Amino acid sequence: MSLERKDALWGYVFVLPWIVGFLVFTFGPLLFSLYASFTNYDITSQMDWVGIRNYRNMFTHDSLFWKSLHNTLYYVLFNVPLTTFAALLLAVTMNQKIPGMRIFRTVFYLPSVLAGVAVFYLWMMLLNPSTGLVNMALGWVGIDGPAWMTDPNWTKPAVILMKLWGAGGGMLLYLAALQGVPEHLYEAAELDGASPIRRFWHVTVPMITPVIFFELVTNLIGAFQIFQEGYVMVQDQSTPGSPMNSLLFFNLHMFLKAFQSFQMGYATAMAWFLFIVVIVLTLINMALSKLWVHYEGGDNR
Amino acid sequence: MRMPATSSSRSYYRSRRARKRIANIVIAIVLIGLGIISLAPFWWMLSTSLKSMQEIMSFPPTKYPHAIIWSNYEHAWVSGRLSRYALNTLFLSCVGVFAHVLSNTFIAYGFAKIKFPGKNFLFSLMLATMMIPGFCTLIPQYILFSKLHWVGTYLPLTIPGFFGSAFQIFMLRQFYLGIPNDLIEAAKIDGANHFYIWSRIMVPLAKPAVIVIAIMTFQGAWNDFLGPLLYVNKESMFNIQIGLTAFRSAELTQWNYLMAASLIALAPVILLFFFFQRYFIEGMNISSGTKG
Amino acid sequence: MKKVNKAAIASLVLTLTTGVLLTGCGNNGDKNAAASHAPEDNNAPKEKVVLDFWTFWGSETRRPLIEKIIDDFNKAHEGKIEVKHSYYPYGDIWTKALAQTAAGNPPDVIVNSIEEAGLRAAKKQNTNLAEFLAKDPDVKDRFREDLWNTVLYKDDPYALPFTTDTRMMFYNKTAFKEAGLDPDKFPATWDELEQVAMKLDKKDAKGKYTQIGYAPQFAGFDAKSIAVNFDGGNGWLDDNGKANISTPNKIEGFNYVQRYTDRLGQKTIDEFKAAFGSKEANPFIAGKVAIWPDAVTFATQIRDFGKGMDVGIAPIPETKPGAGHWSAGGGFVVEIPAGAKHPAESWEFIKYLTDTAAQTYWAKMNYDNVANVQASNDPELIKDPIYKASVDNLTNTRVYPRPAAAADLFKMLDPQVDAILQKKVTPQEGLDQAQKDISDLIAQNGG
Repeated sequence: MSLERKDALWGYVFVLPWIVGFLVFTFGPLLFSLYASFTNYDITSQMDWVGIRNYRNMFTHDSLFWKSLHNTLYYVLFNVPLTTFAALLLAVTMNQKIPGMRIFRTVFYLPSVLAGVAVFYLWMMLLNPSTGLVNMALGWVGIDGPAWMTDPNWTKPAVILMKLWGAGGGMLLYLAALQGVPEHLYEAAELDGASPIRRFWHVTVPMITPVIFFELVTNLIGAFQIFQEGYVMVQDQSTPGSPMNSLLFFNLHMFLKAFQSFQMGYATAMAWFLFIVVIVLTLINMALSKLWVHYEGGDNR
Repeated sequence: MRMPATSSSRSYYRSRRARKRIANIVIAIVLIGLGIISLAPFWWMLSTSLKSMQEIMSFPPTKYPHAIIWSNYEHAWVSGRLSRYALNTLFLSCVGVFAHVLSNTFIAYGFAKIKFPGKNFLFSLMLATMMIPGFCTLIPQYILFSKLHWVGTYLPLTIPGFFGSAFQIFMLRQFYLGIPNDLIEAAKIDGANHFYIWSRIMVPLAKPAVIVIAIMTFQGAWNDFLGPLLYVNKESMFNIQIGLTAFRSAELTQWNYLMAASLIALAPVILLFFFFQRYFIEGMNISSGTKG
Repeated sequence: MKKVNKAAIASLVLTLTTGVLLTGCGNNGDKNAAASHAPEDNNAPKEKVVLDFWTFWGSETRRPLIEKIIDDFNKAHEGKIEVKHSYYPYGDIWTKALAQTAAGNPPDVIVNSIEEAGLRAAKKQNTNLAEFLAKDPDVKDRFREDLWNTVLYKDDPYALPFTTDTRMMFYNKTAFKEAGLDPDKFPATWDELEQVAMKLDKKDAKGKYTQIGYAPQFAGFDAKSIAVNFDGGNGWLDDNGKANISTPNKIEGFNYVQRYTDRLGQKTIDEFKAAFGSKEANPFIAGKVAIWPDAVTFATQIRDFGKGMDVGIAPIPETKPGAGHWSAGGGFVVEIPAGAKHPAESWEFIKYLTDTAAQTYWAKMNYDNVANVQASNDPELIKDPIYKASVDNLTNTRVYPRPAAAADLFKMLDPQVDAILQKKVTPQEGLDQAQKDISDLIAQNGG
């Protein structure tokens, strides 16, 4: 009994820094934004209570709200499974003992290091329909590449492709986890005559499910936050999200509402809506995880 | 790998080795192909960084620089004031790594291995904080730091790191959960307290994950743009990402200098990864005994 | 092996910590300096006032120019006012300024967009300049009236115009001669322009276009601008701030644009567009397009990359004689964010920035259309026929402010315009939809 209480005390000691940080740096701003979502807050001149007007306008008067939600969901639906799986596959391959593997690992990790606006400009050059590298390469195999960034049907696939190129960043954690898989498990499976694919599914994957789970949850959360791509990767910088608002992602719409139209109250209402959607999805994810995530430590959840 | 004991298993291992070699060759070919795809955009960057503006603007674009101008790098470095900005960025990144490794390994241990009332609630709350878009709390946060008189210093960029970040706590917790509880129980019987278990058992065992968060933090701080932009008020305190923007402008983007400076900015992160990645595989070398 | 690793990590940690301490000390020094400086400003008002001036001019070409202008000001106000220039990246500069304004410590002077000056005033983001203007009433007379109107909110000024721009038609005189057209006479109406454009088109043996005379789809003066020109220069909002989108004249403007799509074919237009670049690869400079509307600063590109080209410049056409050669412009203002500490000294500085000397220098070095009328009519500058044409064109140019209630105007309009241009909807349908969406938007925002 007293030992348990002593243990609990230790628990609070360990998580105390986070609690303090949360209360000081996050909780206040969070409450503020919740309150702001029920006001006409515009950052500088007004903050009057307007009840649920922002939420009502969002659902009934703003066609761009639905458009941007659609764009983000489209992106999430393709980006999350693709990058999660690609990173895993890459990590398993990178875990082989082949000479020069260190160089390979660096090469595949490289794209994820590149950050900032320069990478978007780089890809706009690469995706240029007539002079870009992508369509040039497609031409070699006889495919007439689309006008990626100017055709509203191809802009989102183009962004998804670009993100897939950077999937090597997710490989890091898988690699770290794979080193914890005991070699004798593979040897045993091999002696049983299991094929490499079976070994992957029945030895590797179960052993690293905690990390796969982690990647899925954080990739999902991350994918919902996409916005800079739609802001920067446009032909005309004065029309973010173009052509035909095909790159107007949810958070981009929110950002423009907040900082170009100064409707911060409305923007925070949008944020809280998305916040709740993502929380629900994450809770579902966590509930489902009990079915497939396996912890060596024997702890539940 | 242990030495095979009998002759029949010896021949088994020999054929296995041959198959493995073929498999390795196939994998190597696939990797080289993918590697080229992965690197192609960098070729574009590199070649742009060595061209003259004249050549960059020519049509159709050249696939390699026809006249290599190495001085683009020098020019980008000097006119972009990169030496000052690189030092600032290095400072911010190093403090960030120190803060994050310390706080997150500590906090994650509490969430992963100790039972206490309200833990699940706190953990869910922490996950929830990951889902708030940054710019919704940007203004209130800015006002908060302004009230603390932290604006214009590096404090808003460094101090919060000492209180943990949800993403990394979650990540380390997942990693800790994979470490058997028996080790902790055994240490407890020996009279060790949780602080001792954390510092002497958990952190060393989680070394690969610790290195991963160190690299991630370094990279994140190195590439940070909005934070320094908002909280720094003097050009002498700019970081490298803000420095890069000076090459872009509405009237003329100097692609060659922008790409040269971007490549310079990339170098430290690449080197860090290249030299630290061996810590991922170290454990495996010990358990299997084979060397790549 | 293990030992070596530990040593490596230990040494890394040591290096990092040392670095932290060293740099940390350096920063403390900076902080103390700043802290000891601040009270001086407050306690002794006669002391020198330091103004923080933010621009997005950080490139090698623009930074020295603005810093030269600032230097001259500082020399003239030695010991009283010192302006310090801070560069922040385009776009992000305003996010940062907004955060600082909200927190009560904005910069003293900032460069911002002209179209939203009134919007910012409505949102209390900038300082009312009426009391300063009362002391210097002739400052107002430096600017063209319509430009001055863009900085007014409820009849009070909130900024001073710094630069502006205008769009004109560039045309290739050599191509005109080849097609048997008079190179000194540019078509005055849109219908005449279409006739001329057809004569300038060139096709190869297979019927593929090798040169296009003119197509409104090629940027510069886009379909939206043409629609406004067709509507007598009336923008997308009327004088009362109500949506003014689905008007017969604007629909006519879009019909005009579609005539080109029908004649040239969407595929031809797309193929041409895909091959466009800038500088030498600009289609006008490369000789692929004979008539090219653009901001007048485009002349610098012709000067630098179109060696030996014989280029003419003319106003934007009109629908019928007397309807007006309406062109569109934009620009930047200098303003004092709300809550700035030294508005009186800042007023001195923005007054200086928009005065003839600084404006003439800026115009000469950048080839920009400056807001100050006297500076833009500088005798030396006017000798350049293209520059003179641009100054003359300013009388036909309108700047369209974006009021608070319709801040999202173009986000609603642009997708409809895209749909019209891609022939997914008719101009009537698209503009009706935009009219509905934007009226709804304005109603929601209580405009």
